[in-house]
Amino acid sequence: MKSLFGLFNQRRTLFLLLFYILLSFILMTLNDPFNIRGMRILVLQTMSVVKNIEDKFTYWNNLEQENSDLRRQLLEVSIENQRMQESMLENIRLRRLLKFKEEHKIDAVAANVIGFGQEQTIRSLVLDVGEKEGIAKNMVVVTEKGLVGKILDAEPEQSHAQILMDRNALVSVRLQKSRETGVIGWSGNLWLDLNYIPKDINVEVGELVITSGLSQIYPEGIKVGLVGEVEENKYELFKKIKVKPAVEFNKLEEVFVLTSSDSLMGEGKIAQ
Amino acid sequence: MLNKGDLRFILYFAVALLLQLTLVKYIQIYNWRPDLLLIVLVAFALQKGPNIGMTAGFLVGLVQDILSTQYLGLTALSKTVAGFLAGSLRGKFAARTEFLLTLFICGLMHDLIYFFINTLGENFSFQSLVVLYTIPNLTYTIIIGVVFSYFVDVQVSEERVI
Repeated sequence: MKSLFGLFNQRRTLFLLLFYILLSFILMTLNDPFNIRGMRILVLQTMSVVKNIEDKFTYWNNLEQENSDLRRQLLEVSIENQRMQESMLENIRLRRLLKFKEEHKIDAVAANVIGFGQEQTIRSLVLDVGEKEGIAKNMVVVTEKGLVGKILDAEPEQSHAQILMDRNALVSVRLQKSRETGVIGWSGNLWLDLNYIPKDINVEVGELVITSGLSQIYPEGIKVGLVGEVEENKYELFKKIKVKPAVEFNKLEEVFVLTSSDSLMGEGKIAQ
Repeated sequence: MLNKGDLRFILYFAVALLLQLTLVKYIQIYNWRPDLLLIVLVAFALQKGPNIGMTAGFLVGLVQDILSTQYLGLTALSKTVAGFLAGSLRGKFAARTEFLLTLFICGLMHDLIYFFINTLGENFSFQSLVVLYTIPNLTYTIIIGVVFSYFVDVQVSEERVI
């Protein structure tokens, strides 16, 4: 027995190595018994606490970057949303125009407003259609809401349209109820001025004003606007009538150029 | 009774374990990662000799096994042999290169045992594992070992038993 201890002391390192190796193999064969599993769960739960702290640290560390990314994404989505809304509104407008064109069976060319004229004295629109599309001087420009103006000059790929809110634009019009004719023009106000309506003619606010057809340019029956104000002065022969334009000139994006005025002549279909 | 040096190494083991479980995954390249516990174990065994070295190796390996889902005892066996080898090799090389050479030999033996047993009875090619994992892992471990030896004095000759 004594010699056995002596041998162990002499070969202690070797025995210890064999012991650990043997113990390791025993553990490998006993792999995952219940008590070991419990210990693993306990240790892993402890580690999950450490992991949570690490995750929190990583989360806070990444928060700034994430915030910046989200802001950029929000901006992109916002821009995309604006574009989609714009497309939707354009779609609605184009549908209206198409419906208008189909209902009235007019010969017209659809045009986009691509800018405003640079002339000092004439208020005009720049349209993206020109001679190539059959556009010529004095063709009438309308929308589904009413009269816009006329073509001043046409170039091969674009044209200029004079709008009613121009000092030089004068249009012969008719009051729808009284059938009295006058001349409408612009004197620098928000609304148009209807002139040459005698005082004895009964004019109501809200009455429709349409083109008279007496002009060689504008066909009859295109809506120009609604009577907004009526004033009388005992020293003047005619009433002072303000007409609210049917078209919002500052918001124009798409218009029609009537390539044949015959299609509207005498029908008065636009004045609805 | 634990002295100051022992306590210091217990702290190293704890920190290495924590880093191995948490931060090493962020510095791994493909699947290659350094074995921080092996570095500390080799440094410890070089100072304490084979008996304490293998005991430390067994305990450290056992903890790693418990924290992982692999065979219980597999890392304990690999680390036991590594600790024993490191303790046995002290004084066999020049002091300047002792730590890194020992780390290389122990790391190689550690991985060979680990992969050999891990792939027994499976279709894995042991040679491929050695080329694909052992050598890159060992290289990475030695690089980190160089950094470790720069910051930690691994040549505590005064504690050596001559």
